[in-house]
Amino acid sequence: MIQVENLSKKFGNILAVDNVSFEIKDGSIFGFLGPNGAGKTTTIRMLSTLIKPTSGNVIIDGRELSKNGEYIRSILGILTETPGMYEKISAIENLKFFSGFYGLQEKKRKQNIEKYLKLFDLWDRRDDLVSIYSKGMKQKLAIARTLIHEPKILYLDEPTAALDPESAFMVRNFIENQKNEKTTVFLCTHNLEEASNLSDVVCIIKNRIIKISTLDDLQRSKKGKKIEIVFNQPAVRYAGILRDFTEIIDLEVKEDKINFSMENPEKINPVIIKKLVDSGAEIVYFNEIKASLEEIYLDLIRS
Amino acid sequence: MKNALKIFKKEIKEVLKNRAIWLPILAVSIMFSVIFPGIITFTLDSFTKDPDTASFVARIFLNTGNLQVAMMQFIIKQFMIFLLLIPAMLPSLIAPASIVLEKESNTLEPLIATPIKTSELLLGKTLTSMIPSFTITLINFVMITIVIDVLGYMKFKMLLLPTIEWFVVTFLLSPILSFIITMISIIISSKSTDIRSAQGLGAAVIFPIYAIIGAQIGGLFLLNVRYLLLGCLVLALVCPLVLRLAIRVFDRENILTKWKMK
Repeated sequence: MIQVENLSKKFGNILAVDNVSFEIKDGSIFGFLGPNGAGKTTTIRMLSTLIKPTSGNVIIDGRELSKNGEYIRSILGILTETPGMYEKISAIENLKFFSGFYGLQEKKRKQNIEKYLKLFDLWDRRDDLVSIYSKGMKQKLAIARTLIHEPKILYLDEPTAALDPESAFMVRNFIENQKNEKTTVFLCTHNLEEASNLSDVVCIIKNRIIKISTLDDLQRSKKGKKIEIVFNQPAVRYAGILRDFTEIIDLEVKEDKINFSMENPEKINPVIIKKLVDSGAEIVYFNEIKASLEEIYLDLIRS
Repeated sequence: MKNALKIFKKEIKEVLKNRAIWLPILAVSIMFSVIFPGIITFTLDSFTKDPDTASFVARIFLNTGNLQVAMMQFIIKQFMIFLLLIPAMLPSLIAPASIVLEKESNTLEPLIATPIKTSELLLGKTLTSMIPSFTITLINFVMITIVIDVLGYMKFKMLLLPTIEWFVVTFLLSPILSFIITMISIIISSKSTDIRSAQGLGAAVIFPIYAIIGAQIGGLFLLNVRYLLLGCLVLALVCPLVLRLAIRVFDRENILTKWKMK
């Protein structure tokens, strides 16, 4: 488990991270979202012992961060936003070099290197210099490097950036499978679809935490629910009826559909349906559309 | 120590592949260890024919009784200072390059994110500069000794090298100097964003060596064992200061937040 209490980081006069607190359960995927400059990378660096917090406490795997830097780094796998590799040596030499710091048995190290190079389709190119690798191959190699010592905790900063769709799909599946391996994943991503599909809990940060919740709770808490009505006729005929309802906002008419938002639709929906049917509307579907993570995120960030 | 050696082994392979580093060193070594001593020993007569030079050398090396031997001893003292060029040049080429390259290729952060201690990383980088530097200094020491002794014996029927001064320069002064230059190069390279500026600034660090060479050739002073040991003592006192500064600069947080990286 990762327990973060009142974590702050100041660089001179700039408060990069402001009093952040959260808990991440073992084996869960924690989505960490925020705009550029929100403090995501600073938070990851503090949790990786790379920089010291200005204040606050962090407990990782039952150990205090400030006193157990070496141990904590040994159980972490960190994929930075721009992960570099040594380009003048081969892929396999890169992995041998980095994995050498984790105290793995030689046999296990070799097995893991082979396992992850094969998983990311790099085994046949293992002896090639990294300088001739494509951007996507370097990213996959960097991910392999992050996993080689089978860390308990993964910090992944934009793991599917620069990957082709097939590789990105493979990495996402791999991340999801980490739950079965009881590996804790701290996922920083700008890909909101990825975050919503993978994360058990989503945390939205803009120097301080704006919201931290499961996706379901976020969707439920969103003010105003979106409704879609599909007609068997041109929908524009019935737009006027709906405009009479003052509770309805953001009305959109598209061919045979009308979308709108309102609070407490449970109370108004029966009245709306009755009025539409009485005026001759043939309703094919009447659906609630759950707010996407993108909508929720943008609402929260902008507010 | 194991982790420091891992860093050293990886980096020394890269240094050996980098012709821009070892070719100039090889050229300087051959020039100052073989070619110049050889030429000078062969053409010694032309030096002793100059009356001013002859009387200057005779005054300094009163006990030799042989002007040519005295001239040879004077020239050996000049070469002794050139021997310090290698432990000064090589670290100023290797240390900045190794750190700036890590910055340029974004490998510093993944490296310091491993369990390696900062002191092990610093030690590994220091060994990468110091071990080749000391090795080449030793090889140069042996080469000059062989060239001068072989040619000198043919001329004077006596062996002129090694002297106590040469032992002090090779085994005391050059490792201390190499360590200080490495630490200064690390400090300089923390502020640099590209190899050229790092190596340019690193090259400036060896200007004091050139100044000593110039001062001795110009006759301002002549280094002897006493001066050399004094120099070793002064530089040894400087070592912990530069080490402390280098450790402060080579700190994880400094590296990530203050060193400019791509």
